[in-house]
Amino acid sequence: MSAVGASQLGDESRARLAALADVLIPGGDGLPSAGDADVAGQWIDRALGANPDLVDTVVHVLTIAGAPEDVIADLRLHHRDVFDRFAFAVGGAYFMNTPVRRALGYPGTAPRRLPAAEGEAEYYLEDDILSPVISRGPVYRHVPA
Amino acid sequence: MGGGTSGGVAARHLAEAGFKVVCLEQGTWVDPGDLPGNKPEYELLGSKNWHPSPNLRGRREDYPVDTTEADLPVWMYNGVGGSSVLYGAIWARALPSDFRVRTLDGVADDWPLTYDELLPYYQAVEREMAVSGVAGNPAYPPGYEPPLPAAPIHRTGRRMAEGMNRLGWHWWPGTNAIPTVNRGHEGKCVRYGICRMGCPEGAKSSTDVTHWRDAVALGAEVITRARVARVTLDERGRANGAVYLRDGVEHFQAASVVLMAAGGIGTPRLLLMSASDRFPDGLANSSGQVGKRLMLHPYGASVGVYDDDLENWLGPAGEHIGSMQFYETDTARGFVRGAKWSLLPIAGPLEAVEKWTDKGSMRGEDFWGEGSAARMKSFVRMLQWHVVPEDLPEETNFVSLHPSLTDSDGLPAAKVHYRVSDNTRKIVDFNLERSLEAHAAAGAGDTWIAGRNFMTGHNTGTARMGDDPATSVVDRFGRTHDVPNLYVIDASVFTTSTGVNPTATICALAKRTASHIASNAREQEISS
Ligand SMILES: Cc1cc2nc3c(=O)[nH]c(=O)nc-3n(C[C@H](O)[C@H](O)[C@H](O)COP(=O)(O)OP(=O)(O)OC[C@H]3O[C@@H](n4cnc5c(N)ncnc54)[C@H](O)[C@@H]3O)c2cc1C
Repeated sequence: MSAVGASQLGDESRARLAALADVLIPGGDGLPSAGDADVAGQWIDRALGANPDLVDTVVHVLTIAGAPEDVIADLRLHHRDVFDRFAFAVGGAYFMNTPVRRALGYPGTAPRRLPAAEGEAEYYLEDDILSPVISRGPVYRHVPA
Repeated sequence: MGGGTSGGVAARHLAEAGFKVVCLEQGTWVDPGDLPGNKPEYELLGSKNWHPSPNLRGRREDYPVDTTEADLPVWMYNGVGGSSVLYGAIWARALPSDFRVRTLDGVADDWPLTYDELLPYYQAVEREMAVSGVAGNPAYPPGYEPPLPAAPIHRTGRRMAEGMNRLGWHWWPGTNAIPTVNRGHEGKCVRYGICRMGCPEGAKSSTDVTHWRDAVALGAEVITRARVARVTLDERGRANGAVYLRDGVEHFQAASVVLMAAGGIGTPRLLLMSASDRFPDGLANSSGQVGKRLMLHPYGASVGVYDDDLENWLGPAGEHIGSMQFYETDTARGFVRGAKWSLLPIAGPLEAVEKWTDKGSMRGEDFWGEGSAARMKSFVRMLQWHVVPEDLPEETNFVSLHPSLTDSDGLPAAKVHYRVSDNTRKIVDFNLERSLEAHAAAGAGDTWIAGRNFMTGHNTGTARMGDDPATSVVDRFGRTHDVPNLYVIDASVFTTSTGVNPTATICALAKRTASHIASNAREQEISS
């Protein structure tokens, strides 16, 4: 399935994905579950668009029948590579959700320009924090000529 | 041959000196607007089209590297700027002892040159590569003054520095090839923290930005999408050019002097592909050393989780601080040589997850499922040390031509045979244990070893430099012993790997060879 195909996941597939993703990311501590963070909506489309190699794994996992907890537990135990790739796709989708990113302490929707302020480099070296290192003297090995 | 890191340094120098330079590069120019670092999908794009593994990227220009018989993956970038496009820009000169490991420690070989001989070239390329840092690092001989002021060590570096001071261990603010002031083609660092995916701001010194544009302005020609198939010889055994493939069509580029700059995997591959009646085992390979003694720096990583938000995603990445406390040999530790440490940002949540999920992680708990929210909440409170071990050369670690796998032009892929040696493993184990102590001293509640053998783009040693033509491929100026107008200027020439990130030494050596060629042009034998 191509990335374009991934964005055409039907409603049923998306509901199934949300249920499976909730097992991996149940939320709590102020974080939404994967389903509540719309992982199975726009974010999975963007994740698979960015890394089309993950499409086959996601589509494959969606075809596995069984209760979501059992499917994930079986993958974790017996098909670790598939589990890891599926979790990577779901996690990648989840972490793109801006409120999730913000709740985790990351800036904005993506890394953003934060150039150093005047004097910032010096500020972090205040209180002579380098002095003990300098006063201990050279730590390199002398090499005979 | 190759428009990467070393190629850029040499091309600009030779173009400035008035030489006609033609570069054959299999990849293309990078458009900074394509780079993922400031896009919401950055980590997913970095896991595919901008991954440092050529096998995962799988672009037309990425020749496959078979690592089924290697303990770790092999990383590189194939395009103008080469691996410097994706490197972390941690800038570390080798130390005087690195050039004398046989004399000092009775292992491997001494280099045919010394730290002092390379020093003026380090200084020259540090200006060209806009290196920033604090002068006076006591891990180096006096006089090490990075040309640009240092970036802030940030909360991350400060927190760890306090721990290192408690232990009485060496640390120093990061030295990086990342400008802290605007200059030339480069903007100053805006601290996206995603240096290892390429800098969308053009504020990291990759040679496409620092060297190739100037070289082209000075008249050098870069032929992109040109995959070199073999270097050719005239009837006297002088290199006289190269055959390359572009869109499946074969071309010939004539040359009076040929410089190999295809990287630590690409150069031995190309020399082996250039076998001829005169050199049946590969060009310039009368010693049998082409491709041998591959050294890879199998990294280790450790993390600690702290109480407060350390904004560990802020750049440069690049190192915030480094340590050489355990760099030099102390035989009481049960091994020779040592490691450099770098305290690095964690670019985003997916990279943080790897601290649990990496195959080398000793965390011992699954990341996903019940409790994952609390684990996610610790992401920005983590600090990570990367440990770079010196990797000594072994005849059994080598690059060869793949018997069946080919690149998109039908040329043989590279096969890497590499096992982590006992000495290297001991260096990593010892240093990772010490790094956990450093985390604890800095106040981390939870600490663990987060990875081993997970990263290297430090591909060195496969066309080693030495005085003896029987045991080395190039002489002290990078000229092959077998072909007087064929030079190797990339990471292949390293006699030993050193225990530091290699680019400072790669660039200094390329500068030195280019200067030597320019200064001795009259005596240079050339093809007929
Ligand atoms: C992710 C990553 C992080 C790193 N971080 C650091 C760091 O922080 N500090 C540090 O010091 N080092 C770092 N390194 C290592 C550093 O980037 C490399 O060691 C260095 O750039 C290698 O330079 P080079 O000239 O040997 O080869 P390269 O720069 O790789 O250049 C080789 C060029 O040759 C071209 N080529 C190869 N074969 C052919 C062919 N047949 N025909 C035409 N063209 C060909 C390639 O496309 C490429 O452009 C890192 C590397 C990676 C991958």
